[in-house]
Amino acid sequence: MPLGSVILAFALGAVICLVTGANPIDAYSGLLCGGAGLTCSQGENSALQISNTLVFMIPLIMAGVAVALPFRAGLFNIGAEGQLIAGAVACTAIGIQFAGLPGVILLPLVLLGGMAAGALWAGIAGVLKATVGAHEVVTTIMLNYVAQWLLRYLIIGGPLQLGPGTSTSKPIGQGAELARILPADNSLVIFGLPASVYRLHAGLFIALIAVAAFAFLLWRTSFGYEIRAVGQSQKAARYAGISYRRTIILTMLIAGGFSGLAGAVQVAGVDHNLTDKYFYDTTGFDAIAVALLGLGSAGGIVFASLLFGALHSGGAIMQSDAGISSNLVLVLQALILFSIAANFIGAIRRTLPFGRAGPAPVLPSELPPAAGLMSEAATPPPETA
Amino acid sequence: MSESALAVDMRGITKRFPGVLANSNVDFSVREGEIHALVGENGAGKSTLMNILYGLIQPDSGEILINGKPAHITGPRDTIALGIGMVHQHFMLIPVFSVGENIMLGREPVAAYDFYDRARARRAITDLTKKYGLALDPDARMADLPVGLQQRAEIVKVLYRGANILILDEPTGVLTPQETKELFVVLRDLVKAGKTIIFISHKLKEVLDISDRITVMRRGRVVGHLTTKNTSEEEIATMMVGREVLLRVDKKPAKPGAVVMRVENVTASSDRGVPALKGVSFELRQGEILGIAGVEGNGQSELMEVLAGTRKTTGGHILLGDRDITTYDARTERDAGVAFIPEDRRGTGLVLSFSIAENSILGRERAPAFSWRNFILKLVAIREWARRLVKEYDVRTPSIDVAARNLSGGNQQKVIVAREMATKPKVLLAAQPTRGVDIGAIEFIHRQIVKERDEGTAVLLVSAELDEVRSLSDRIAVMYEGRIVSIEGPDTPEERLGLLMTGGGKAREGAA
Amino acid sequence: MSALGDVGQLLLTANLWQATLAAAVLLLLPALGGVISERSGVVNIAMEGMMLTGAFFAVVADLAWHNPWLATGVAILAGGLIASIHAVVSIQFRADQIVSGIAINIFAAGLTVFLVNRIYGLQDIGHVGPTEGLPYIDIHGLDQIPFFGKVLFQQNVVVYVALILLIAVHLMLFRTRLGLRIRAVGEHPMAADTAGINVFLIRYSAVIASGMLSGLSGAFLAIGISNTFVPNMTDGRGYIALAAMIFGKWTPFGAFVACLIFGLGQAIYDNNSTIHVSQYLLSMLPYILTLVVLAGLVGRSTPPAADGLPYVPGSE
Repeated sequence: MPLGSVILAFALGAVICLVTGANPIDAYSGLLCGGAGLTCSQGENSALQISNTLVFMIPLIMAGVAVALPFRAGLFNIGAEGQLIAGAVACTAIGIQFAGLPGVILLPLVLLGGMAAGALWAGIAGVLKATVGAHEVVTTIMLNYVAQWLLRYLIIGGPLQLGPGTSTSKPIGQGAELARILPADNSLVIFGLPASVYRLHAGLFIALIAVAAFAFLLWRTSFGYEIRAVGQSQKAARYAGISYRRTIILTMLIAGGFSGLAGAVQVAGVDHNLTDKYFYDTTGFDAIAVALLGLGSAGGIVFASLLFGALHSGGAIMQSDAGISSNLVLVLQALILFSIAANFIGAIRRTLPFGRAGPAPVLPSELPPAAGLMSEAATPPPETA
Repeated sequence: MSESALAVDMRGITKRFPGVLANSNVDFSVREGEIHALVGENGAGKSTLMNILYGLIQPDSGEILINGKPAHITGPRDTIALGIGMVHQHFMLIPVFSVGENIMLGREPVAAYDFYDRARARRAITDLTKKYGLALDPDARMADLPVGLQQRAEIVKVLYRGANILILDEPTGVLTPQETKELFVVLRDLVKAGKTIIFISHKLKEVLDISDRITVMRRGRVVGHLTTKNTSEEEIATMMVGREVLLRVDKKPAKPGAVVMRVENVTASSDRGVPALKGVSFELRQGEILGIAGVEGNGQSELMEVLAGTRKTTGGHILLGDRDITTYDARTERDAGVAFIPEDRRGTGLVLSFSIAENSILGRERAPAFSWRNFILKLVAIREWARRLVKEYDVRTPSIDVAARNLSGGNQQKVIVAREMATKPKVLLAAQPTRGVDIGAIEFIHRQIVKERDEGTAVLLVSAELDEVRSLSDRIAVMYEGRIVSIEGPDTPEERLGLLMTGGGKAREGAA
Repeated sequence: MSALGDVGQLLLTANLWQATLAAAVLLLLPALGGVISERSGVVNIAMEGMMLTGAFFAVVADLAWHNPWLATGVAILAGGLIASIHAVVSIQFRADQIVSGIAINIFAAGLTVFLVNRIYGLQDIGHVGPTEGLPYIDIHGLDQIPFFGKVLFQQNVVVYVALILLIAVHLMLFRTRLGLRIRAVGEHPMAADTAGINVFLIRYSAVIASGMLSGLSGAFLAIGISNTFVPNMTDGRGYIALAAMIFGKWTPFGAFVACLIFGLGQAIYDNNSTIHVSQYLLSMLPYILTLVVLAGLVGRSTPPAADGLPYVPGSE
């Protein structure tokens, strides 16, 4: 993981704090508290903070995969947020409609429904790209907005609304709820708080399985090979007989499935209903940074998700304790993105006249999109067998 | 005449790139009014040296004198001001602009408010082209012009800026023999008009034809200065490589067997939608090498792509044995036993960022040998295969996990050749198999091709290097304007082939 | 359906078209910036962030100095500065231009709200006074023409400026020497370099120009049409401007046509009180419209040949 880039970003963030009159130490200790349960100054419960971080991490892992997989095919899936919302909506709708069904049927149903909805959402962009060449950045972003407004329509004045004047949906059936990892028994006290306060749920295992499946797909299957070939060189892929269109569309469908799953898991695991907060959810955008930071490896994505989950959780504490807007977290995220994309660390480390040294300069026409990131990540993980 | 003045004097030039010493203490000088050839293999450092002279790169050390005076060069602007002009191997032309706009670029005449003065530009160009006898239409779109005229525009561009010293980098690679003759006439006229010319090439016959003196480079150093009239092809080649070079391949006579591939009246269009193949027919037999001679751009690329399954036909049939494979795509072709060495090794034949191991199965990632149920990759088998390829085909690399982009051109090509040949195909399609590859690797690849042929593979060879076609082929088909105009024997004289390649001469047999 | 009937009625009013032109201009300015930037070969999807930054600084400056012209100047400057980050990262460091663009958008979104918090603490940012916004100007005489007078000649000052800029950018790109060089750099930077043109200078200038245009648009949004800053108030307009640029085949007038179409969608939404459909469904209109346009009307458009590719000198 490009640790150097992260550290540099935090350093720049500290500068921004100083310049605007905020105390970087307060800011970062707030982040540390909310993120890792450390340096908590106002009596927050460390275990709870850690639990919150993990809860935020769960959908990020899957959304991170949803961005990382198309990256490999040379596509930018900026629509993970919209696909996630689609998944959440589908999960809720199915969970309400079939609320009476037992968990053994209902839970897989809502999760699969979420994946299908997410796949559909991404598939639209994939088909548009494969057929008319519509740039997926624009189409997926448009779909994000459509999803947001669809959500609002459904829960405010629409069919999923709980009651007039509210902006939440009806709850999903009991069977669709993902089990908590810690029993929801208030008489049980763990680390100083009743057990039900910790919201950590079984979605964690789903996320870990998902990211493992992603790594397997990408590195150990023929299709994964083809995805990577298409992303690195369309001409070579054509020579190899790989169908660009088929690969693009399938990749987007699978990616959408992952972020749809993230949305479904959120609903099934945390809230058990749909609320307006999804309108402002930034998971899909955080996922971009997760994918880049994670360099497309399963372990990398998990660690990056942990980091951004921590930042998310930390941001709330930073805002309530130090009075510094949690939007600083967004700024930090952007700085990390810059840092990685521009390879500042590499430039600083090297003293050669060409800012990015490496193998002999490549003719520009041969660089596929996101080339600078891909070339580092293109080496497969070391053979463990 | 006593020692004439030096137009260009480069002394002690050194330039290092990451991992490569491109120029090492190079001394290079050119006399006024001469045509001086700079010769060397790919990677010898000639392009780097000229890019330094032209100001595109800065040397690490050394100095440059132009017309006797030290020159401080920071970029192309300085060299243009000094009267140096460069015609690059890959044209520096903008296809969507007109000829006039291309020539004027950087020195555009303007009217009020920075508006571009098209009329003035047109007049200036017509004056210039008349003066040097190089006819060109200033309003034509560059993309619509044939290659020979595009190059002419490049030369006019350079003259428009007042160049007295012209550098031409591999100018004849894309020209027909006729256009090459015309170019040489132009060059001689320019010299008569007082210009000095530096001619970079690896085509020894042409170098002997046009130049007055020759400088040979090898691995970043100057290894020889020669006077053209006193030297020979063999001497130059030996200097370029450092040892005796076999310019022709040793091979036993062919033993052609049954017809393995039949091409009947195939038509196809190019990327631009223009007909590229206008009815190609021929037969290919087991155990023979059929070479296709022709200037690039006459349909050879499209023919190979059609046969390999990466381009659709618009008519005609292709038969492999008794199977009709006309509509087969690349994957099914490969499975049927047709292997393809593409002409663009870096863009098409390899995924540069993939390792050698991964590249070794490009196109075969779903084959039963490399995947379970064509879904899960058999990683162990793939690595075995890659190791075998590297060993048998002498690919110089520390491991099979090195990324293809880190290999030299010759080794990259060997990976592709290995991959395609090792599957023991029925038919091997080889397009420009030794382009841009160093002589050692060329010899190796030629030997491998002959070996394949001796083991019964049918080989179809396309090459723009007439020498290669003549030395390898058992039969030679000449392509011109999308058709096979004649099929000749292997010892056909070059003049006849040259004539057929440009549309002249009468067919001998089997043309469509 | 009565909703369609409502829309039909709406389309006959001059008010709607007046709003359409204004909404189109809001998109046109960043779209022009995108055209210039991409014509020079730098992919720029950061218009959203540059617009947002411009909007923010316009409000802050106007609240501080009560002068809309000065505030607009600050907004333009801010847009240019943010753009220069994209320029440095993409051109100097050869980062992937799409990642850099997205990063700018995230950066702007976070920074603006962060600064609101820093400057105004927990209070509301406040509103710009009615006389302190960018003024609407009625052109005497012409504004009395029935229907068109209202649509064309009773607009905000920025609209008139934008239309002039539209013509200016078109002339610049296709008739002047500068435009020729910009396009050369975008098609074949090495050819331009060997002809003695400074590729880096042109690309930097083009990107910064696009930032300035987007900043101007942000100022129009914040202190022309609206009178305060709301987080993420640009609502995706920067991305829609991108789509307009692609639709217009990277030409100013082509992009303008697309902006009019998109502006129409926006104007219909803004006037939704007269249409009997859920306002949330109407909110989707601009975005779905963009999708439809990209899907159907565009087909395959070709950007400048070297668009998105970092230039490495001497990499022959």
